[in-house]
Amino acid sequence: MHRTVPSLPLAPSVKVKLINAGFQAASDLTDMRPLQLCKEAGISQEEAVELLQMLRDDAQPQQQRAAADGVTALDLLHQEQTLGSIVTFCSGLDDAIGGGVPVGKTTEICGAPGVGKTQLCMQLAVDVQIPVFFGGLGGKALYIDTEGSFLVQRVADMAEAAVQHCTLLAEDTEQKGALEELNVEKILSNLFLVRCHDYVKLLAEVYLLPDFLSEHPEVRLVVIDSIAFPFRHDFEDLSQRTRLLNGLAQQLIQLATQHRVAVVLTNQMTTRVSNGQSKLVPALGESWGHAATQRLILHWEGQRRLASLYKSPSQMEATVQYQITVQGFRDSPDEPRPTFDPSEVSSPSANHSKRPRLEDLS
Amino acid sequence: MGSKKLRRSGVSADLCERLKRHQLETCQDVLSVTQVELSRLAGLSYPAALNLQRLVSKACAPAVITALDLWKRKEELCFSTSLPALDRLLHGGLPRGALTEVTGPSGCGKTQLCMMLSVLATLPKSLGGLDSGVIYIDTESAFSAERLVEMAQSRFPEFFSVKERLLEMAARVHLFRELTCQDVLKRLERLEEDIIACRAGLVILDSVASVVRKEFDTSLPGNLTHRSNFLGQEAAVLKYLSQEFCIPVVLTNQITTHVGEKLHCPQWNQTDASFEEDSGFVTAALGNTWSHSVNTRLIVQYEDSERRQIVIAKSPVAPFAVLSYTIQKEGIRLEENMNPESFSNRGTDPGLQPIRVRTGFIFNLPQAAPSTC
Repeated sequence: MHRTVPSLPLAPSVKVKLINAGFQAASDLTDMRPLQLCKEAGISQEEAVELLQMLRDDAQPQQQRAAADGVTALDLLHQEQTLGSIVTFCSGLDDAIGGGVPVGKTTEICGAPGVGKTQLCMQLAVDVQIPVFFGGLGGKALYIDTEGSFLVQRVADMAEAAVQHCTLLAEDTEQKGALEELNVEKILSNLFLVRCHDYVKLLAEVYLLPDFLSEHPEVRLVVIDSIAFPFRHDFEDLSQRTRLLNGLAQQLIQLATQHRVAVVLTNQMTTRVSNGQSKLVPALGESWGHAATQRLILHWEGQRRLASLYKSPSQMEATVQYQITVQGFRDSPDEPRPTFDPSEVSSPSANHSKRPRLEDLS
Repeated sequence: MGSKKLRRSGVSADLCERLKRHQLETCQDVLSVTQVELSRLAGLSYPAALNLQRLVSKACAPAVITALDLWKRKEELCFSTSLPALDRLLHGGLPRGALTEVTGPSGCGKTQLCMMLSVLATLPKSLGGLDSGVIYIDTESAFSAERLVEMAQSRFPEFFSVKERLLEMAARVHLFRELTCQDVLKRLERLEEDIIACRAGLVILDSVASVVRKEFDTSLPGNLTHRSNFLGQEAAVLKYLSQEFCIPVVLTNQITTHVGEKLHCPQWNQTDASFEEDSGFVTAALGNTWSHSVNTRLIVQYEDSERRQIVIAKSPVAPFAVLSYTIQKEGIRLEENMNPESFSNRGTDPGLQPIRVRTGFIFNLPQAAPSTC
């Protein structure tokens, strides 16, 4: 470890004392005993203990990661498949993003006004609750609404449709048993809702999310609709905005992996003029583009609604058509346009996922 | 909001002192710096800074409810427009706690709709009203009290046959004329007090566009950013108030000519030859960012010389739909023969939705067309 003392996350006064006592690298400190350290550096006993514990916590996982506790790609594959994903009820989109919105990852949905970002989020908040016996996750959802577009009447419509869908599918006794538990009121009671009116409240809510998720371990989906609205005004200092957004993105990624939730963010589109031509790009600037693992852009083409996968570590870029019906977010009845690999078009029933399934491997 | 003082959020007194020296006095100040900055400014170790941040977050984070809580009081969440077909599509009426925008060409009935809604809000709950006051912020000086009274009398002739009721209704509509951006912003700052003082159940801003378009010349560099900042603030204040008080907020917007790549016109416009020929088309003003800010967008447009249409262009609950209406003495009247094809799952970008304007001027002397604003 070649970390220097000034770079350690310590209180400034402690750092000064350590440096004055001649400690330069973190490795100088690791062999010290608390009392010895407190005498030599002139810091209090509590400070010394806190410092040494922090260094120990810092150092250990690294060594372990290298040896005993190492994670191989195979382990990750197992893990990712047990986490599962949340279906969107639009099979074209599900195929394009590898089976649904992945749990344990962050997904950003960008799109023009009125194209269906909020609709997709509400759909996911319902779909995450589909019981395990129907191939769902049987989880709960937390919906952070910053725009005021969350209307419970619409969610009730979608929940009703989802219940009916499951009723049609129910075959064996297990499924029928699960169905008895599933009704609109149950779905609504498993959907937590927070309204944040400005970025301060949004940040406060996100900082408290680890506690909330520990209290409600069944939550599998966190939606922030939208991240853009509170951050698109009120900021005179844009570098401050970037710093806050970067911190937020980091926090959300951490949440997604540690608490095994799918994090879904929505973002607005903004007009950018380049070479005299104006085009729509996702808002919040270039560096925000790194924030989410997966990025989906919803856009209009005339009267058609299209969803394009814009960034993904595992799936091909693709564009699919969808529609929004009374029941919710659905496949478009029109012939799906051939957009990617032509071999897949000839066999539409084939699994579009690039990701190998475990069954295929064993 | 985030202006809660740190002292009141459980932060120890000497830590408050230390933070105050770096101009961190409120919850907002603390949450607006990153964790590393906070650790430096407060002189705390990193884990301690995280704890401080959590403590402050707890003091100002909003409460978590469930959707079921909302569902149980869904009747309180909408405001009936008294137009059955529109109410049905919007699941009960205009959403309370969200922004509804009405946009359309001049003289098409935006102000008429606003005045009609004002009358409705003052009605007792038994008649489907809100039994409350109305705050009407008028930036175009288009509001006419005479018309308001006329509308009330012809729409609810029985109820308003008593003169006192009519006077009471008129007294409950509080009109504010604000003619500059600065004035509008000041009015919005005081709106919270006004809503309480007037016991308002409806806020109308007619129109958002006029002052903004007058004062910000978007051809000058930088002005576009200022404008969207101003509009963003306006939207944020209104959203906050509408949600806190659970009241509907209605805004009106103007139209602009959009020059750019051609949009596929909806089928029902294809017969309209003049539409296809133009290189640009008419659409809602104030741009893309503003279109994101409104929760529901209704477009009013001309169908023919007498009939007009309401288009639900953006709504979290309703599909894209077109309804025909005429403007009568009693305000807006929907045409009953609603053809089933008039709503679909399709729709277009509400920011680019073409709006039909009046192309000719037809008049017939004996029965003059009903007045528009």
